[in-house]
Amino acid sequence: MISLFDTLLRMLPHRAPTGVVAIGRPNRSSPVLVTGNYTLTVQRVRRALAGRDVWLLVADSRGINVWCASGGGHLTHHDVISAIRTSGVRDRVDHRHLVLPQLCATGVERSRIEEATGWTASWGPASADDIPAFLDRGGHTARRERAVGFPLVDRVEMAAMWIGPLVPIMWLIWWPITGARAATIDAVGVAVAVLALYGFFPWLPLRRARGVPVYAAISVAAFGLGAALLVVAGLAHTATMLWLGAACVVAMGIASIDVAGSTPLMTSSVNPSDFEVELLPDRCTGTAECVLVCPREVLVMDGRAHKVRIAEPDNCILCAACIVQCPEDALRFRFDDGRVVEPDAIRRTRMNLLGKRKTSPTI
Amino acid sequence: MTYAFMRRLESTPSRYDRGIELLSGGRIGSVYDRMAELVARPGADVLDIGCGTGNVSIACAARGANVTGADRDAGMLEVAASKSTAVQWLEVDATEIEDHFGPESLDAVVSCLALSEMSPQVQRYVLSMSLSRLRPEGKLVVADEVAPEHAGQRAWYRVRRAPVAALTWVLTQTGTRPVKDLAPDIATAGFTQIETERPWPSFLIVSAVKPS
Repeated sequence: MISLFDTLLRMLPHRAPTGVVAIGRPNRSSPVLVTGNYTLTVQRVRRALAGRDVWLLVADSRGINVWCASGGGHLTHHDVISAIRTSGVRDRVDHRHLVLPQLCATGVERSRIEEATGWTASWGPASADDIPAFLDRGGHTARRERAVGFPLVDRVEMAAMWIGPLVPIMWLIWWPITGARAATIDAVGVAVAVLALYGFFPWLPLRRARGVPVYAAISVAAFGLGAALLVVAGLAHTATMLWLGAACVVAMGIASIDVAGSTPLMTSSVNPSDFEVELLPDRCTGTAECVLVCPREVLVMDGRAHKVRIAEPDNCILCAACIVQCPEDALRFRFDDGRVVEPDAIRRTRMNLLGKRKTSPTI
Repeated sequence: MTYAFMRRLESTPSRYDRGIELLSGGRIGSVYDRMAELVARPGADVLDIGCGTGNVSIACAARGANVTGADRDAGMLEVAASKSTAVQWLEVDATEIEDHFGPESLDAVVSCLALSEMSPQVQRYVLSMSLSRLRPEGKLVVADEVAPEHAGQRAWYRVRRAPVAALTWVLTQTGTRPVKDLAPDIATAGFTQIETERPWPSFLIVSAVKPS
């Protein structure tokens, strides 16, 4: 029930308690895994680790999921250092090693944790579901575990995130205007439109093209379904049709605002669009830290040259995790007009000020 | 003033000062001055924990103190640095202060609108660390939003806060809360001579001294 509530309202931050949590019966040599204090995240990590004996170190991500909090500067190495020092985890284990969630790599600088606390840190898998296999393998991620997908179950969850607040609010607005039955049909139209957006997401040309025709087509389809239901219910009047059309357009307009932010497959819509990641081969020493944190399999290690190369540039979602973690500063952003954003600026501002960075004299 | 709205302000550091000024009804400037008046004297070593855009630090430096303004947010520090070069700005979390200051190395620790951003564990840690870093007779001054004392004022405060908190969640996907038990926690940490001032019902300034 709590899980359903959290899922339907997942766009809002929901803070779980921070600190160290015992899962199973951990001892002084059990692994320490880090996560953020978003309620759903903590629930899912605990579920994935059922039957294991580990310490879960819940850092303060301001009630936001690990990926979004790290990109927005709400979960950084400062929070992990704070968790190590204030949670009491130092008294629970004899070792000094922790496993970071891969998706925090945009905000959490691994090296800064090691410098401040003496704890070593390694990268875990992208998904909590892969943690047991990761542990069984002795703390190494397989390539497929580092890639982030957007499977149907996740897409339905994102649709539910929008339907949860949209449908009841719109029903309450439409009910006094059109009556309960027509308002319910409007709500069905809205729910179908949002479900279609996320259900068919992998096949929609949203990543490269402007989405307006796509959103318009989905609105028209949802309107068609709702209109058919109004006809069957004997409620097909000009007024109810107009309100249905308005409901479909408004719902799709709201749902389309943050489609990029609801998926791990698109670059954030708050970024400027005219830049890409640049690799400076002369600086690369082949530590491959970037390969371990890239969620889109953009970078690969060239074993013969002992250097990293950009293998799949079109997959890149410009999250900057690779830039933040590279110990040699061999990666940076380059704008089409030739200007560059060096790693230090990314580390200081995360992604949320990138537009400003482009014109800042401090670059 | 509404804490939840502060998250919005923090997401745009350049707007922070104007926003806080508006939210406090123009009264926040007097808090900065009062805090500086309580701790700053020429040559005193002062640390401002969670300095944000640096107003308390700058007020202390104006009275001749050697001030370090510490904040974990580089964007905030960038605004602070643009306002004053008389303060040393340091990008660290409150729990990293121990890495930069030795025991009994400070004459005063100040913190304005920062403790309420911290979890209770971190608050306890910061108070304890402040005690260890202060010299004997060193002073701690903390100012933060609190729930008003009187039931009627508290109810009005909650009613007024709710819609802004909801709007802030929608705009920034974050929220905050007023700090609880500020003075008792400071006493528990080992400070003495605790004095409180309420410049307005939902705001508290607590000053305390490290025993010699």
